[in-house]
Formats: sequence, C-alpha cells, structure tokens
Amino acid sequence: MTENLTIKQASNLLKNKELSSKELIELYLKNIAEGKELNCYNFVSEETSLLEAIKSDERRTSNSLRSDFDGIPIGIKDLFCTRDILTTASSKILSDFIPTYESTVTQNCKNSGLISLGKLNCDEFAMGSTNKTSYFGPVKNPWKLKGSKADLVPGGSSGGSAAAVAGDLCIASLGTDTGGSIRQPASFTGTVGLKPSYGRVSRWGIVAFASSLDQAGPITKTVDDAAILLDIISGHDNKDSTSSIKEKENYSKNLNSNVKGMKIGVPKEFMSDDLPKSTLKAWDECKDLLKSNGAEIIDISLPHTMSALPTYYIIAPAEASSNLARYDGVRYGLRAQGKDLIEMYEKTRSEGFGDEVKRRILIGTYVLSSGYYDAYYLKAQKVRSLIKDDFNKAFNDVDAILTPSTPSTAFEIANEPNDPVQNYFNDIFTVPLNLAGIPGISIPFANDEKNLPIGLQIITNSFEEQKLLNIAKNIEETVQYRATPEKWWIT
Amino acid sequence: MEFDKKNLLKLGKLARISIKEDKLGSLGEDLNSILKFVDQLREIKTDQVDPTSNSLEQKLLSREDIAEKMNETNDVLENAPEKEMNFYVVPKVIE
Repeated sequence: MTENLTIKQASNLLKNKELSSKELIELYLKNIAEGKELNCYNFVSEETSLLEAIKSDERRTSNSLRSDFDGIPIGIKDLFCTRDILTTASSKILSDFIPTYESTVTQNCKNSGLISLGKLNCDEFAMGSTNKTSYFGPVKNPWKLKGSKADLVPGGSSGGSAAAVAGDLCIASLGTDTGGSIRQPASFTGTVGLKPSYGRVSRWGIVAFASSLDQAGPITKTVDDAAILLDIISGHDNKDSTSSIKEKENYSKNLNSNVKGMKIGVPKEFMSDDLPKSTLKAWDECKDLLKSNGAEIIDISLPHTMSALPTYYIIAPAEASSNLARYDGVRYGLRAQGKDLIEMYEKTRSEGFGDEVKRRILIGTYVLSSGYYDAYYLKAQKVRSLIKDDFNKAFNDVDAILTPSTPSTAFEIANEPNDPVQNYFNDIFTVPLNLAGIPGISIPFANDEKNLPIGLQIITNSFEEQKLLNIAKNIEETVQYRATPEKWWIT
Repeated sequence: MEFDKKNLLKLGKLARISIKEDKLGSLGEDLNSILKFVDQLREIKTDQVDPTSNSLEQKLLSREDIAEKMNETNDVLENAPEKEMNFYVVPKVIE
C-alpha cells in the first residue's frame, strides 16, 4: 500500500486518515536510509521534515490545510536555494553555503504544504549528463542491466532527483533543465520529467548556470503528478524579470487524455541508424498507439537539429562563465589564501571548481573574448534563431512533436567516455528545446532488451503545457507501463 | 586557434582560474576537441539572421517604485568568508 507512492495516492491516504504526514515522512526517511548506497541525497532534512510533518498533521486536524497536497514529502535538487538549509550545487566551492533566502519554487512548494526531505545530488552546477561531475560522488541508477551487478549512471544533471523518484526515496522531486537535465535522467530512470516553457517557472533563487536556458520542473512517477507539481511551482514572479505574465492553466484539473484529431509531428532529423533498435521500436509503437487513439502522425523536418548541440556548447558556457564569475571567494563560498587579491581569486576558483565546470568557464570566456565574440557567440545566437524558427514553422502544421528522449538507455558508470564532447551527445534530443524555449516531457514507454527503461519525448509550442501533459497522459494510460526497478540495495 | 600552453595560461588569467602546469596538456586537448566540435557552425549561412539572446517574447515589465526590505546587511554578509563591521575583507589591494 505504501510502496512507490504517487502524490495523488499519498494525498488520498492522508485525506482518508490511513496515514499521517509524520508516518509518511518516517517511511521515506527509512527508504532514504536504506538507499544510502544510491547516493541520491547530499543532505537529508531529518529533523525539519519531521517537525514540518507534525505541523501539517495539526493543520489537518484544525481544517487549515494549505492545499490537497499538504504534508507530502518531496526531494529538492541541490541547486535550489533553501533558507537555513545547505545548498551546494554539488560543488566544493559552495560546500558550506547556507542561504539566507528561499527560492520562489521551493517557497511555492512550502506554501502548498509540501515537505522537503532534503537536497538531491546533481552534476556540479548542473553541468553534466551522468551525475559524475558532483563533488559528492556519482549517483547510482536504481536500474541494473539484466544479469549484471555493474552500477549504471542515472543521467544528469538532475541525476539524484530522478534516481530518488525511481528508487522511491521520495514521492516526487524538483529538478532543473538547461539542456536536458530533467528529461535525460528521467529517461534513464523510467520516471516522468517535465521541462516547462522558458518563463513558466521562476528562476529566482536557483543557482544560475545559463540564464537564457535554465528552467525548473518536476520529476515524478506519473503524468498526473507532473501536472500537480507544475500547478504548484509555476506562475509569474516579480523577482524574475524573465518570468512570463501569461496566465497559467489549472494543469491537473484540466488534464484529459484526449488526442483525437491532434496532429503529431515526427522529425526526420531525429532518425538515425545509430539509435538502438529497441528505441526505434518504442518510437514506432508510440506513433501507432497515438494513431489508433485518433491522432494523425505527420512527417516533419527540423533542418537545424544537428546544429543545436554545437550552438548550445557556445551559448551555455558563455552564460555560465558570466554567471559563475560571482564565485570569487569574497561574498560567499570557499576562499583559498593568496598573496594578493588576484591570486586569491585564481586559487579559490581553481580549487573550488571541478574539471567540467572549469572547461565550460574557459570555453565561455574564450567565445566571449575580444576578437572571438562575433565568430562564436554572436554566430551561435543567430543559429539559435534558425533553430527556433524551425520549431515555429513546424508548429504551424502540428500540435506536438514526438521523439526519443535520449540516443541510448542508461550505461555503466565505468563506461562513461573520457572525451567531454562524446558525453555532450547524451543531450542531442533535448537541447534544441531549451534553445527554442519550448516545453518537453519525457515519459517511460517500455523496457529495452537489457531491461532498462526507454523514454520518449513529447514537445509542444511555448506555454502549451496542458496539451503536452494531455498527450503524455494518453500514452501513459494506453501503455499502462509503470517503470519500477527491483530494490537491490535493500538487503 | 589552438589551445597551446601560452593561450591556455592567458585564458586562465581572463577567467581567473589558475591552471596547474601538469593539467595544461589534457585541458588543452579537451578544449581543442570542444572548439573543433562547435566550429561546425561556421558552415551555416547566417548573414540575414538576427541573433536570439532569449526565447521569451515579452517586453520588460515595469513596477511601482516602492522600496522593499530585502537583502539586508546581516543576510548579505552571513556567508562571507571574512568580514569586519559591515564590510567584506579581502587581501590588501593598495600598497
């Protein structure tokens, strides 16, 4: 009854008084302790989560609940600033940082009565797609290859957020997505991962990586839960000048699985002989499924798809080099000793940042430097326009686009390529959306021949999250596939 | 451009990251590989294309000019590695 709970189920259990919030938190603290080996959490809020649960139970008794979801535990990517609670971005440079303020997204969760179980491991400053760049060590994927004990990557950068949901170390979690950091790990762990439209969710109080691409979103066990969390976290925020003033919808209330008459585009540029057969098969099956549910499948073209990754690897590092200039050892974070101010800066940043973060800062500095700005940064911004234009044109003809979420399923931690560029290809199907600012969701569809979940990605135009969720719901309802790994870590 | 030793050290200066001598080789290789990868954009014609810096099509919003209390001194200084009175302390800048 209490295994792999969804937000909806937990809400009902609480409502029917079958379980108190305190019992629910205790249950998940036990799951977290048992799953320590997965290394999902950088920090577990044992005391505060229990205190909050007691308060929630009191609110229930006095009929003053903050929402239907009051008292439900979630996990939070360690990139959201949380007042009085350690926030590290999985970096040495912030390893002692305790914010004096609360991010808008986590405040919204508190306002709805959600309770944080703790801060979830991620790639350092959200830079990576395997969770191996974390200062606190890699997260292990709860899934295993058939007949193998080797540890698999959970994807990244929200690897802890995805693995914790898949392994039932929380009911749902918050992640962030700059180039695929919610959808790619969701795909690798058999969870539902939603990246909203740029501007739908406030970025205020989230440790910044690439400000024109970053967006927060939920990782959940079901599409219903994704809609519930999006309801809670989205909306305009005065503190974020790029937050949209567009009215949001009531996503969970309006959720329906009708796809009749919808036109679903399939971009030929995403088709490749390199894709695993099982991924191609899942993609085909999903097209057939949507067709038999009344949608029309249309071949489309997004001609600049292959340019998205190189464009991203100019724009994201450029913005990162600028955003991460703030870590200078003066106002917060680590400080190394130096004989003068400049040496202090240089040593602090050299000691505090890991290799991938340094690479990106250096590339970003280079593409923004005098003499190279036009050739790289401006060029990439122009190609970004072309990529955005491709999607705009496509959405003249179709309601949504269906693609695989990732070019492969999860792989062994030990097999991660050494060449950084090779690793960048994990995000090849997710990056174009961030450049265009449009929303995407990865949902688990089937297992491959190695027993690992395959994720498919649905894409819509900006601020059409309702349509996105409805299509996802349709697929989820039809396939009836709920990906749950065996809990091998419990002995 | 190739990221040789001299260029890397210059880049490190610009980014305020000191690079250890024994890391120069592998770092140079990594950065060259990344640069080679992004260089493929040169083949795309963009003469008539305007740049996109942000995908949100929304004008900047204005608000009433009302003072709010946030980021107060104690909060701002809370995480400073070294502070004195209401100031950050840094290594000596002027001799």
